[in-house]
Amino acid sequence: MSRGVPFSAVLRSEWTRLSSLRSTWWATAVFVVVVGAAGALAAAGTDTAERAEVAVQTALIGFGFGQLALLVIGVLAVTAELASGSALATLVAVPRRTRLLLARTVVVAAWCLLLGIALAAACLLAARTLTAVPGGVDPTDPEVLRTLGLQVGAAALVGVLGVGLGAVLRSTAGAVGLGTALVFVLPPVLALSGPRWAERLSAALPMLRVGQDAFFSVPTSWPVGMGVVAAWAAGAWVVGAVLHERRDV
Amino acid sequence: MLSPVIEVEALTKAYRSKVAVSDLTVTVHPGRVTGFLGPNGSGKTTTMRCVLGLARPTSGTTRVLGRPYRELAHPMRRVGALIDPRARHPGRTAAAHLLALAQSNGLPASRVDDVLDQVGLGEVAHDRVRGFSLGMGQRLGIAAALLGDPDVLLLDEPVNGLDPEGIRWVRELLRDLADEGRTVLVSSHLMSEMEDTADHLVVLGRGRLLADVPMADLLGAHSAVRVRSPQAPLLAAALQRAGATIELQIDGSLRVEGLDPDQVGDVAYLAGVRVHELTPVTASLETAYLTLTGDEVEYRTAAR
Repeated sequence: MSRGVPFSAVLRSEWTRLSSLRSTWWATAVFVVVVGAAGALAAAGTDTAERAEVAVQTALIGFGFGQLALLVIGVLAVTAELASGSALATLVAVPRRTRLLLARTVVVAAWCLLLGIALAAACLLAARTLTAVPGGVDPTDPEVLRTLGLQVGAAALVGVLGVGLGAVLRSTAGAVGLGTALVFVLPPVLALSGPRWAERLSAALPMLRVGQDAFFSVPTSWPVGMGVVAAWAAGAWVVGAVLHERRDV
Repeated sequence: MLSPVIEVEALTKAYRSKVAVSDLTVTVHPGRVTGFLGPNGSGKTTTMRCVLGLARPTSGTTRVLGRPYRELAHPMRRVGALIDPRARHPGRTAAAHLLALAQSNGLPASRVDDVLDQVGLGEVAHDRVRGFSLGMGQRLGIAAALLGDPDVLLLDEPVNGLDPEGIRWVRELLRDLADEGRTVLVSSHLMSEMEDTADHLVVLGRGRLLADVPMADLLGAHSAVRVRSPQAPLLAAALQRAGATIELQIDGSLRVEGLDPDQVGDVAYLAGVRVHELTPVTASLETAYLTLTGDEVEYRTAAR
């Protein structure tokens, strides 16, 4: 049997689907405005910082809120199709469902990555120009690069988490609600609630602000934080893919 | 006869509360329009969904062009399907909806304009489909089915919501597609829609196969001869001896089943009976269909 349609063709069609929805552009605008404005304000409000990566991390504060927009993009990429019934036409065209979901995920992750890079660069610029650091903020400083890279990588993973939750729950409200709880509400709530187990649980939730400064959450080392986010994204995606493959539409 | 293009074998599909399709075996052949008929809830759509890989059979198998639908390499180039006229995102334009489908099967973007013009939606190509009427949705769905210029078409209730001009257009389109040697399976719950279109009928009732017959046979099976004679009792006796079934009508005429008009005339002549009227009565397809499905209607209106 021939391999048929190349994967790149499915990617192109998924990009057409994502980019032809207004909600994608609304969410993108929200992300840009929230992350950009918060970055500029935070950098402007921080006159001096001891080290470059601290200045940069402060400017990246908006990612903590802005990630919700990326989550919504990921969720809607799946649930808007199902809710409208447009998934019927899509699955008749691409009956190999896991391939379809993979293409959709790649497109969402790429878009989130692109947005993350653009906004991380903007936040870096804000930190460089608005916050005084001894020796300046050098963009090639490995500490600075790692801080930026963590945010960008985690931004893409939140998009993947959105796709996965959307495929599992098949409901926009349910998936956005659960996703928001996981990445935004529960980690700080648990961290502040006190008991030891709650702190541990908080550290095991996918908080976008990975690493030492965990946005009101329990700080972990950055590899642990990144690993947790990646594990949640991958876990939700795999469960979503299995259900997506098996369910009737 | 050419080998079957769509094969449904012992298909059963049960949902939690009810069995939608029960042990259905049927084949659909190329070069003709096959009408897929049955009352609402008789399992037509479920069968089509199983064939297209949208629903998983509880048991049994379905094949298109010799393999399960999910294994087709370029599905849209082989099979075009219309399952639901609402199968589109309201926020997308008609052109974007079709472009995504075309790209996913490696079809050139120019096909989008081609099919939009073909179905008469060229002028609203860049409007969001939110404002589309049911009829426009049907046209968009048919456009999607035609994108890949497929050899096989499965259309679920394609004329639902269309105006008379649209209905005629769909009929002619299906006719042309079948005449080009393609396989056309079109479902409907209205017999009248099939009367001028289908060559072959597959009739379902409560998820079971009721008939799988050429259109002409179904009509023939329910046709009769009306004969009027001043010597009706004599004629009736003669006809019964010839093997016919006789029914005395309220106006005194006889309704004869089992013999064609020529035979009835011959019998009358041999019996020496005068005949004042001899008329072939073709059952309307609607009557034939109702006879067939009478006991199998799922949602019957309360006694009239």
